[in-house]
Amino acid sequence: MARSPLEYRTDVWVDWCPGCGNFGILAAMYKALGELRLPPDKTVIVSGIGCSSKTPHFIKVNGVHTLHGRAIPFALGIKLANPELTVIVNGGDGDLLGIGVGHLVALGRRNLDITVLLHDNRVYGLTKGQASPTLDRGLRPKALPKPNIHDAVNPIALALASGFTFVARGYALMAEHLKELIKMAVRHRGAAIIDILQPCVTYNNIHTAEYYQRRIYRLEEGVWDPVVRDPAERREKMLNAFSKAFEDGDKIPIGVFYQDPARDTMVDRFAERLPKYLESPPAHQKIEDEGRPIIDGEIFRKIFSNYVVETE
Amino acid sequence: MNMRKEVSLIVGGPQGAGLETTAQLLTASLARMRYGVISDREYFSNIVGRHSYIHLRASSEEIPRSLTYPIQIIGAMDHETVFTHFGDIEAGGAIVYDLSTEDKSLDNIPSMEKDLTSRLRQLFSSLGLDGSIRGLIRHVSSEMKVLPVALNYPELIMRIAEKISLPAAQAPRYVSAVVYGAIAALLGLSFNGIDYAIKMRFRERGDIVSINRMIVGEVYQMVKDKYDLPFSLQPSGLDHSEIMVVSGNDSIAMGKIVAGLRFQSYYPITPAADESFTLEANERISVEGVDLGAITVLQTEDEIAAMASAIGAALTGARAATCTSGPGFSLMVEGLGWAGMNEVPVVVTYYQRGGPSTGQPTRGSQSDLLFALHASHGEFPRIVITSGDHLEAFYDSIEAFNLAERYQMPVIHLLDKFLANSIATMPLPKLDHVRIERGKLVKEAVGERKRFDSSYPIPPRYLLGSGAITYHAGDEHDEMGHIDEDPENREKIYRRRMEKLRLADEEVPEEKRVFYYGDEAAEVLLVGWGFVKGVALDAIEELKRDGIRAAYMHLKFFSPFPSRFAKKMLEKFEAGKVISVEHNYLAQAAVVVKIHTDVKIERNIVKYTGRPIYLSELVGAVKKILGGERRVVLTHGP
Repeated sequence: MARSPLEYRTDVWVDWCPGCGNFGILAAMYKALGELRLPPDKTVIVSGIGCSSKTPHFIKVNGVHTLHGRAIPFALGIKLANPELTVIVNGGDGDLLGIGVGHLVALGRRNLDITVLLHDNRVYGLTKGQASPTLDRGLRPKALPKPNIHDAVNPIALALASGFTFVARGYALMAEHLKELIKMAVRHRGAAIIDILQPCVTYNNIHTAEYYQRRIYRLEEGVWDPVVRDPAERREKMLNAFSKAFEDGDKIPIGVFYQDPARDTMVDRFAERLPKYLESPPAHQKIEDEGRPIIDGEIFRKIFSNYVVETE
Repeated sequence: MNMRKEVSLIVGGPQGAGLETTAQLLTASLARMRYGVISDREYFSNIVGRHSYIHLRASSEEIPRSLTYPIQIIGAMDHETVFTHFGDIEAGGAIVYDLSTEDKSLDNIPSMEKDLTSRLRQLFSSLGLDGSIRGLIRHVSSEMKVLPVALNYPELIMRIAEKISLPAAQAPRYVSAVVYGAIAALLGLSFNGIDYAIKMRFRERGDIVSINRMIVGEVYQMVKDKYDLPFSLQPSGLDHSEIMVVSGNDSIAMGKIVAGLRFQSYYPITPAADESFTLEANERISVEGVDLGAITVLQTEDEIAAMASAIGAALTGARAATCTSGPGFSLMVEGLGWAGMNEVPVVVTYYQRGGPSTGQPTRGSQSDLLFALHASHGEFPRIVITSGDHLEAFYDSIEAFNLAERYQMPVIHLLDKFLANSIATMPLPKLDHVRIERGKLVKEAVGERKRFDSSYPIPPRYLLGSGAITYHAGDEHDEMGHIDEDPENREKIYRRRMEKLRLADEEVPEEKRVFYYGDEAAEVLLVGWGFVKGVALDAIEELKRDGIRAAYMHLKFFSPFPSRFAKKMLEKFEAGKVISVEHNYLAQAAVVVKIHTDVKIERNIVKYTGRPIYLSELVGAVKKILGGERRVVLTHGP
């Protein structure tokens, strides 16, 4: 039985602009969390800075609203110290692909079991409409004094190249579809990212709801199988995903681009080195006994015997 | 024969030629014979080829606390070492050098910095020397009665190599063994001690143990037979049965392990990275097959992520830290502010090096004190602790975690390269009195909880994963952790946050934060911190022998600053008789002292070349200050 999405609402007023794409994403999250029955105390939403990064305050699970661009490394520490927690990152395109893009790449390399929800509206909202890293060159949304001088980064291709093992794209105004993607991403073992296209009603007068409505189609409607079922398929599936990633313009695909469920995660990698890692992760280890360190003089002498010189 | 109480020596050679191994072998063999040792490693930011050296002091009476000049022995792995250090040798000292380099000239040493080459060229021309090793050795042996211990390194090694059919290409890596063998002989070390050190250094690598033993043994015997061990140390008066040989990085890593560190993130940087290596090597804390715990050591993509992930781990209740140096800390400061705002106990182990910018990456410095105290925008409380020596640093690294958790704030453990890279003998720490204090940790709770409950000076710390639901924000927040800019809320929560430092100031005894050493009736007071401690303590003893009664005030905590104790001490002295001794230009500790005590320290002795303050130069500088100078800038050391 799913939990009611209402169980995940806080009483904090949601202060996004009326009509903001973030509302659709938030609605999809409430539903996805409910259907996944995620226990609020074992779930952590970590965010950066920006409109979308206010999300943790609106969801009744643990919330960590961090610094611009740094949600991923905060999430990294949380997940590695306590792998039983479900960790979800919410951040904008400026946050995750601009100032924090190095961390996004590093998360892929680690394939750590974290879900990244990338709110992609191609502008910086809170600072009044500047170009974000997903805005194409030459475009000029209404707040820009001059057309954008930078080329856009392709979030799907970047995620694939970085090593994310679940890469998808959703659309904020197709909440039911997005909810399913979020559920898949959270269930996926490994680094997962959903590039969520969203209109910014205040500053982006180019990529509007109408713009997306005309272009978006679902990958799963055609012949499309993004799942790697055998390591031998990796290359082919990855190349297919790259090819789809660059399909832009008149038709914009949404859905799962790539999924490789068998790759070991960073938690697996540590568990291999530290046999009790899962049963006793950093957060749960006993480090003292009635106020005394668990390492006494005798144990210390044994642990560091390599440094001890017995004198003549 | 007159035996020595102590000896100072330098072993030099190109970076990458095994100098560190030589230092470890020398220290271990001296330690085996119960001598106290301290050694500084000076090197460039370079992997292979640039001049690097070990400056070591060993004593039969104590564990030496400082380095000094002149030295009695130079062990030169190459001719650049002879040129670089001959000026620091005592009359009657010895130079171990490679006879096959006799014709080498100062004019063709590309690795030597132009400044030094030109200074030496000038000196040689004034002395009428031709710039060759041969000429220089002749000069120092006639003018300074220096004993030339000339060994043909390549020939020696090849002779042994042939016996054991060692490939010729491998021969150069045994130069360090030749130098070690010669020095060990000059010092009159026992072969048993040498053997012990070789086994300790190379452990399971039996082939390397045996080759080293052969070369070292041969050279040792040769030097022993030819010279009458002129620098023999008298039997040690120290009476321990075991001792540790550690670097500062090691002793701090050990302290963190005892403290219960469970998550360490870092980005590689000199001179901090070795600490993380020691931690990673000991990630599985197990004794006789029983696992006592495990540390997750994570190399991150940058220092920003190192700081952020350590904070994340701390939110779950793991004792978490990161370690870095100045450039890395510069990147961490935004995260530091978040930790302050969200009352997260995270420890930053901060090894200072020469700045600004890349500065002198491999040289020491104490120029980041004001930065550590004030880094990050806005106001938030932090604890800043510094340590004077290896053992102090060990205990302080445990205290850092206790205070971080007790007061729920970031703690900066501020150290320096001098300590980080000094290899020294250190007594085994006593752990009977060590306590682990975890503060107001809540491991089990239910439902939404006020993480920032203002009804307490320090609120209960609900952990992520504890069963509670909590919120955190870098924005100003309400008690629940949600964004709140209401002026009354702002005032209340801001004040409570800031007041934690006042509480720490009331609760942590000042006697644990500042120390007074020396004569109660002293007339001169040296004020210092960090690695200055050792040289200052040695200086007050030496000054006493010269009839000057000096004392030393060692500042350990800079936040919360021990203002009452410090003020009381400072006011006992005449204004012109208080001298701050620091490794920076501004005399930064004096600035902090002025802020907190309103006492202006008007005299200072500073050094910012990146080399340690040597006992010899500090004693001289104090005398200059007493003679009327206001400031002495020290520069000794190549």
